[in-house]
Amino acid sequence: MTAYTVYLEQLHAMLAAWSKEHQVYVPTAVEGGYFDFKPWREGVEIAFDYDLAYNTLKRYFLPPKEDLVVFDLAAKTAEMVFDAPKQLLFGVHPYDIRGINQLDQIMETGAPDQYYLHRRDATVVFGLTPMRVAETAFWSSMGAGEVDRGFDLFWTKTGPSTFLVEVGSMRGEKMLLAAGELTPASAGAREAARKAHLKIMEMGRSNALNFDWKQVPRLLDKCWNSPLWQKKAELCLACGSCNLVCPTCYCFDIREEADELLQKGVRFREWDGCMLTSFALVAGEHNFRAKALERYRHRYMRKGKYIYDRYGELGCIGCGRCVRACTTNIANPREVFNTLWEASQHED
Amino acid sequence: MKIKEFSAYLPRPATLKVKKELSELVTLFEFENDSGRPLMHKPGQFIMLSVYGVGEAPFSVSSAPIRESNNFELAVRKIGAVTGIMHDLKVGDKVGIRGPYGSFFPIQKFVGQDTLFIAGGLGYIPLRSLLHYQLKHRDEFGRIILLVGTRNPKERIFIDQLAELASGKDVEVLETVDVPDETWKGHCGVITTLIPKVRIDPDKTNVAMVGPPIMYKFCLGECLKIGIPSNRIYVSLERKMKCGLGKCGHCQINHLNACIEGPVFQYNQIESVEEAI
Repeated sequence: MTAYTVYLEQLHAMLAAWSKEHQVYVPTAVEGGYFDFKPWREGVEIAFDYDLAYNTLKRYFLPPKEDLVVFDLAAKTAEMVFDAPKQLLFGVHPYDIRGINQLDQIMETGAPDQYYLHRRDATVVFGLTPMRVAETAFWSSMGAGEVDRGFDLFWTKTGPSTFLVEVGSMRGEKMLLAAGELTPASAGAREAARKAHLKIMEMGRSNALNFDWKQVPRLLDKCWNSPLWQKKAELCLACGSCNLVCPTCYCFDIREEADELLQKGVRFREWDGCMLTSFALVAGEHNFRAKALERYRHRYMRKGKYIYDRYGELGCIGCGRCVRACTTNIANPREVFNTLWEASQHED
Repeated sequence: MKIKEFSAYLPRPATLKVKKELSELVTLFEFENDSGRPLMHKPGQFIMLSVYGVGEAPFSVSSAPIRESNNFELAVRKIGAVTGIMHDLKVGDKVGIRGPYGSFFPIQKFVGQDTLFIAGGLGYIPLRSLLHYQLKHRDEFGRIILLVGTRNPKERIFIDQLAELASGKDVEVLETVDVPDETWKGHCGVITTLIPKVRIDPDKTNVAMVGPPIMYKFCLGECLKIGIPSNRIYVSLERKMKCGLGKCGHCQINHLNACIEGPVFQYNQIESVEEAI
């Protein structure tokens, strides 16, 4: 992979240049000791060592609310609407790129979701090797610590003011070299980046799945009737926080509104969540997943088995956002999978 | 941008042509595609129908697939926001449609075979598409046995059509109501009780079954009991649907999407799917 060495003092001019065409988002410290992606502008301090962005980055491709179709209610006609602003996400961790890659597959399968694909195409992704691991994260043991596609550039901080920048796409390379030639990375610089990666993977293992993540689907195959689901679900408030912060949860509702004169209308989609009680409720008041147990189990089956069966990878990337967001401390895929694994070892 | 400007969410216009009350709450709607092209649906498929400004909902197509006509029928119970406003539509009003979507009854597998239709309540609506196709090509199919169950006589739909079928030779019709009233002279009891009454050859009979969720559990058991193998039983499962494209997640039945792999399933494919029945 082509790689260049970039110095911190060069970065500012690059960000300013990229900002001319793209809305640039960077990780930055927010209240409460957390981090999140915010628009970059002069003076915004980039948190290169952020552990986890509080909110999922799916919002840049699948906004919480997105218009699909507008109506002329008098003429009874409909028109599609697309919005895909040019944006650049600087500093995305590998597990989050994994999440984006998974959404790419899901949204392209069957009828391609043009709204998502438009936004994805208009979004430049610059990856970044993590330097710290969030307390709740376990991506290192979920096969999500590494990524080989889905980014335009990949940055690794190899010294106090030095980055190794690997090229992931022609678009990325062009943007990187826009301000002038850069030094191709030396063998030593590449080795330093490799070490940085190994170090963070090792740090990530302090909070890990106790078994090979590839066993999760087979494990869940045997766990439909586990007492764990009820034990956890008893505490579930059905708030949907775990859905909201999950980088691979993509379910949505479709609704519409008309203006007060009933002349124009808009149909939009809005994030929905399988943990909400009304998610599978149909007219006539029949609810196909009325019980908390059914909803809780369905979510873990999606993450650990159903997605795997379709796409060959887990629906959980181990970011640990749901662990943070859960109001009653029951959302924790690592703990759920480990507990089920432990129980399965005592069977037979 | 290289992506073609196309939205699968954009409805196509259709016009209401005929509206006929089937019962107190159920109405038959006949629409014509404004495009001048037939719907090209297969029996068991559904469409998403929009009433602009109110919403969109999935409906099984009730008419047989006919290439010569741009019209199609839906039978709709007034039960929610979209279905409520649909009942206020007047002939000539415009709606939007997307689809047809989903799986269907594989007609080829029914050719030369007997068919046992089991229709519970509104389940007759999607089955009617397959039934009418078979009647249109009557020679290609064996016996047609139709079991119809309704909660009470007031909720019966397509009464005239059923009477006509019952008096003809093409279809053997057996009907029941769960709770009779003074007007009802026919069979009483849930639809399951009709199954042992029919004499069928289990090796050459396919079952097409549609009804409320509770019906499947019992009727499937009865069908297996009379010797019909599960790969000869087809069911159509209702779920909440928002997109019809396998994306929004609402219709998931374990790992399956009712809008893509369904709504019509061969029973042997979902026997071990926990949330299906």
